[in-house]
Amino acid sequence: MSLGTETTDTDRTESDRGDGLVGGDSSGRELAGGLLVAASAAALLGGFLTLLMFVPVSTTVMGVRVGTFLGGMLALAGAGTMAVGVASVVGAPADRPRHSGGLVDAAVFGLAWFVAGGLLAAYPLGLGTLWPAVALVTGIGATALALLAREDVGVTLPGGALVLLSGGLVATGVVGPGWTWSPSSFSATVTPTTAVPVILIVVGLLAGWITARIYGGFGAKGRQAGAYLLVGATAAGMLAFLGLLVSFIVVRGFGPMTDGIEFGLFWGPVTWFHLPVLDEWLIIEGPIVWFYWPFVMEGYGLTTPANGIYPAIVGTVWLVAGAVTLAVPLGVGAAVFLTEYAEQGRFTFLVETATNGLWSTPSIVYGLFGLAFFVPRLGNTNSLLAGQLVLGFMLLPLVVITSRESLKSVPDEYRDASAALGVSKWETIKSVVLPAAMPGVITGVILGVGRIAGETAPILLVMVSEPFPTEAPTFVDGGFRFIGSAPFVAGPELDLVQSSSALPYQLYAVITAGLQENIEFAWATALVLLLVVMSFYAIGIASRIYFRRKLTA
Amino acid sequence: MSETGTTSSETDDGQSEQPSFDDDGTEPTQPAGPGSSQTVGAETDERTRAEWVEYDFEGDPKLAVEDLDVYYGDDHALQGVSMDIPEESVTALIGPSGCGKSTFLRCLNRMNDRIKAAEIDGSVELDGEEIYQDRVDLVELRKRVGMVFQAPNPFPKSIRDNIAYGPRKHGDLRTGLVARLLGRDDAEEEDALVERSLKQAAIWDEVEDRLDDNALGLSGGQQQRLCIARCLAVGPEVILMDEPASALDPIATSKIEDLIEELSEDYTVVVVTHNMQQAARISDQTAVFLTGGELVEYDDTDKIFENPESQRVEDYITGKFG
Repeated sequence: MSLGTETTDTDRTESDRGDGLVGGDSSGRELAGGLLVAASAAALLGGFLTLLMFVPVSTTVMGVRVGTFLGGMLALAGAGTMAVGVASVVGAPADRPRHSGGLVDAAVFGLAWFVAGGLLAAYPLGLGTLWPAVALVTGIGATALALLAREDVGVTLPGGALVLLSGGLVATGVVGPGWTWSPSSFSATVTPTTAVPVILIVVGLLAGWITARIYGGFGAKGRQAGAYLLVGATAAGMLAFLGLLVSFIVVRGFGPMTDGIEFGLFWGPVTWFHLPVLDEWLIIEGPIVWFYWPFVMEGYGLTTPANGIYPAIVGTVWLVAGAVTLAVPLGVGAAVFLTEYAEQGRFTFLVETATNGLWSTPSIVYGLFGLAFFVPRLGNTNSLLAGQLVLGFMLLPLVVITSRESLKSVPDEYRDASAALGVSKWETIKSVVLPAAMPGVITGVILGVGRIAGETAPILLVMVSEPFPTEAPTFVDGGFRFIGSAPFVAGPELDLVQSSSALPYQLYAVITAGLQENIEFAWATALVLLLVVMSFYAIGIASRIYFRRKLTA
Repeated sequence: MSETGTTSSETDDGQSEQPSFDDDGTEPTQPAGPGSSQTVGAETDERTRAEWVEYDFEGDPKLAVEDLDVYYGDDHALQGVSMDIPEESVTALIGPSGCGKSTFLRCLNRMNDRIKAAEIDGSVELDGEEIYQDRVDLVELRKRVGMVFQAPNPFPKSIRDNIAYGPRKHGDLRTGLVARLLGRDDAEEEDALVERSLKQAAIWDEVEDRLDDNALGLSGGQQQRLCIARCLAVGPEVILMDEPASALDPIATSKIEDLIEELSEDYTVVVVTHNMQQAARISDQTAVFLTGGELVEYDDTDKIFENPESQRVEDYITGKFG
């Protein structure tokens, strides 16, 4: 037997067998599946656009009502899905369907048809109290079909029918202009403005899942394609929401925030000093960059040229700096003790549980504690120091939790290697374990700072005195300087027991003062708060990169 | 000279079936399956004789171990082991997995103290001084008895910092900010020490130009030699090696083996290995541990490999079990 015949033999067997290594021609199925996925995606995307009112449902684009078009897309996907199902029964079987849809399919279609049947019975058919019976019948029917029929039929028929039905209702205008629904157990009235987008999104996702499985040819590949589509849609939706949130704040806040910025370059006195011998002033002139940004450089008041939030920015920066200074050494120290020294057992478990509980404690509780405990002991007045302490204790549990996790993840080999060199435990922790755990600790602090920088409730209770401060309090007065009496050197005076504002509280104050004339001020404050938190993040991320680089490069 | 504490292992079949701890003391392994019942029978029939573990050599022993028992909870990991280790030589410890050779090794610089479940009973003398007594300075002990581990474990620091780590922490090198400000900086001594240690570990030529790069960027074999250099930098007298080449490829292994032979001129090297050819190549004397944490035979390497007294040792060396 020659080599040539062998090859031909193999070739023939592979093309003859349906489940060979190289599958049969699947371009037709992939084309149909791809088109159906596109139709479902169009409906899903349209659902989001109409929900956000970028394109309201009732408008007409190029002579077609938006609702009719999107509903039509959905109906098309449903009809196509059913057609594929019918085709695979009649004579063009799908690639590798499993013999049953499986539990997930049964649950999804059963639930979907239960809801759909119930809604149909209750509203358009007007069957009143009979709806649970109808819902059960449709639900069980869909479950049975998905469980008992071969996968390609069990998925396409109940799914396609549901998609076709929902799309049809939207496209034909049954759920369209003039339609309302006031369920008796629900105080709101459902209108097409919300109902149509919700139908488009929910059913669009379902249709996308089914049609992606058609595209993949059912079986393992089909499930892979379906899962890929769902995960992708979820990720895209999440990113889109984040983008929406940030752009919303930026678009509304950027104008008022940057209002009145002035800058320029001019010639002026740069520095001047008194010459003792000549008894004259020497003035050195040079180019000066002049920059004025009223919103972040002014307070709020009648005398200022413009209303700004400078005092609140100063307050937030001091607040976060103080809280971090308090919480990080304490938290890391506690984590080192719990992980490296304490015997792992009931005690550490108890502390761990308590720490997790403390991190979930509502901030207003911390605020109330601060008001009752710190404020009377710190000059009996609302003060920055009280705010720093309260927020520091709020941050503490998270620092402990994340530091413990990152200390535990430092390999024991490092500790062994250090011990074998005769280095004591504390030296090992200081020079090997903590540096290796540092990136994780910083990640925890970054997360915590994001939370405490945005806290309003504790600040409201322990820190602020006036809602719209005109000037920022002077926490540090003077610098290092020589004085005439012993000890001849004076340092800056640090006075933290003064009330201060902070950005979240400033925002709250603006909102409670009435938004009508202040709405722009509020958005600008929100944007500045976002930027301040982002810059704390930037500092944290930069230091994390620094420590990580020290470990790897 | 030495004398075995528990010479007889009144072993029955139950003993060989009880799970024993692996080298790191955590993983229980089944020493012998039912398929090897014949060899297990051969193994358990034999009684260990005291003279098998007596090894005569000239001079005082560097390390003298007497009646060493180790328990991990209920598990008796090491049974009355006694052996004397001569100075400036290579002693190989061989035996199947879970036989207690790594446990024995870790007793020699009290690294087993770090395992909470371990309970150690018996005596180990370094230059005639008992290391298992109160007021023993573990820092000083581990400076004199260094250790190299199975997997290369350099710190995530630069090559220079890895080498200088031990001496800096012991205060032998002053490189801190205060020292630098006071002009008592030992930067030159540090450079000399780093170079000397790396040369001793036969890795200087490969890393000469990148002393400030991270040690984790080296290959596995280079990392292991770096770990040996790090151990040498502290100035030990004894170097314990726990399967130092088992994670390395043959070329890196042969470099480590050459290095061990060189080191034995100045240091007392005790090396645990799974590889019997390696033990035969590099060691001056060999101790064979068998299942149950028992030292069965200890003698000149040539004697052990060519004409062992114990039938079980012969079976193990010729590959009949283990």
